Amino acid sequence: MINVKDLHKSFGENEILKGISTHVAEKEVVVVIGPSGSGKSTFLRCLNGLETATSGEIEIAGMVLTDPKTNIHMLRQHVGMVFQQFNLFRHLTILENVTIGPRKVKKVALAEANKVARELLAKVGLVGKEASYPDELSGGQQQRVAIARSLAMGPNVMLFDEPTSALDPEMVGEVLQVMKTLAIEGMTMVVVTHEMGFAREVGHRVIFMDDGLIVEEGVPKALFSDPQRDRTKSFLAKIL
Amino acid sequence: MDPIRQNLPVLLDGLRLTIQYSIVAIILMVVIGLVAALMRLSTVAPLRWIATAYVEIFRSTPLLVQLFFIVLGLPAILPVNQWFGQLTYPILAAALTLSLNEGAYVTEIIRAGILGVDRGQKEAAQSIAMNGFQTMRYIVLPQAFKRMIPPLVNQAAQTIKDTSLLAPVGIAELVYKGEIVIAETFASFAIWGLIAALYFVLIFSLSKFASYLERRLQVDKR
Ligand SMILES: Nc1ncnc2c1ncn2[C@@H]1O[C@H](COP(=O)(O)OP(=O)(O)O)[C@@H](O)[C@H]1O
Ligand SMILES: [Mg+2]
Repeated sequence: MINVKDLHKSFGENEILKGISTHVAEKEVVVVIGPSGSGKSTFLRCLNGLETATSGEIEIAGMVLTDPKTNIHMLRQHVGMVFQQFNLFRHLTILENVTIGPRKVKKVALAEANKVARELLAKVGLVGKEASYPDELSGGQQQRVAIARSLAMGPNVMLFDEPTSALDPEMVGEVLQVMKTLAIEGMTMVVVTHEMGFAREVGHRVIFMDDGLIVEEGVPKALFSDPQRDRTKSFLAKIL
Repeated sequence: MDPIRQNLPVLLDGLRLTIQYSIVAIILMVVIGLVAALMRLSTVAPLRWIATAYVEIFRSTPLLVQLFFIVLGLPAILPVNQWFGQLTYPILAAALTLSLNEGAYVTEIIRAGILGVDRGQKEAAQSIAMNGFQTMRYIVLPQAFKRMIPPLVNQAAQTIKDTSLLAPVGIAELVYKGEIVIAETFASFAIWGLIAALYFVLIFSLSKFASYLERRLQVDKR
């Protein structure tokens, strides 16, 4: 589903990604961990074209993202993204937040878009909030709307960039639960998170990134209980 | 004889022109400002340069000089009077120059409004596959617009006041008519006082209308 070959990304002189290569299979849930500033967000943002790779190749859902001829807007319809800060559209109601993508980008009729949006809001546990504005919702509720907004585009892949890091502790569970349901339904997911419980329980594979490189990867159980590299060991010692 | 009552129709005729020029300039300045602001924020460098040059030129020279230059100076080197008509050219040129001048300030207002919208909003729009136009039209501009209302109203008030500079280039608006009436009646104090009061009513009702509009938007949408 996702194929990354020797991905490099620099901001000016500053090389942030120093040659990332990995593959994500269909229905696979990959958890990315690593210290702050190691390039996890940059990696994720390269995967939906919010950042342009400096060199290397990214292929997603059969489209080569790094090919200049690829229509980036076409590709993004297949790649959903959930942000740490939710980024709900503040001037739109919850229902409109979920329908605006299908309506404006895919030209879906209003009635149909509303129907799908209501189903998705029910799925993330937000029935009755359709007419509210984002500011009226808790962080956990906002993040679940953000997930519904992405799902409304019918993506093949979902990217999550620390989706629970900005949440009060009591709201982390409700968001992780929605993500877990998605994973069980077979969504292909790449999740940057510090929630090791989620990684262990839902993740099929964990990637440890440090300083712009993949240091180590493996099935969660093995990587957490028996890390091979020193940098992985010291990072895990700090967070577990 | 009462100079005000007798000459009121003449002054109101000037006021009508003042209002007409104001409305045209306020509409055009927003259109011009929006286009130039989008150009200034464009990724295409030449578009940025053109818009920046436009803003700097019009903000760094006096409006009165701009009006003299375009309304009176240009016909000396170009046959604009033949192109547009002897009577039409000054009218068009005056309205356009005023709009361009005010548009330069509006450009900066709109640009600041757009830049004030959180970057995450744009990225979220991109992540649901919106293109640049859709992102601007449905996500960024609606949020930018709300914070632009107060400075835009200020600029509109400024525009109404600036129409008085059209008098020296021969547009028969309120000040122009006032000078004519004073030349005949010598009632300088009364006429200038009346003219000031008319401007005040115009601008005061504009700002009252604007704060009403703002309150409405506050209630309807957040
Ligand atoms: N747009 C940018 N311009 C310049 N530097 C950036 C930009 N985005 C990220 N960086 C830098 O890249 C590094 C990695 O950032 P990031 O990918 O956010 O790391 P992580 O998500 O792992 O914490 C940081 O040092 C950050 O300052
Ligand atoms: Mg990050």
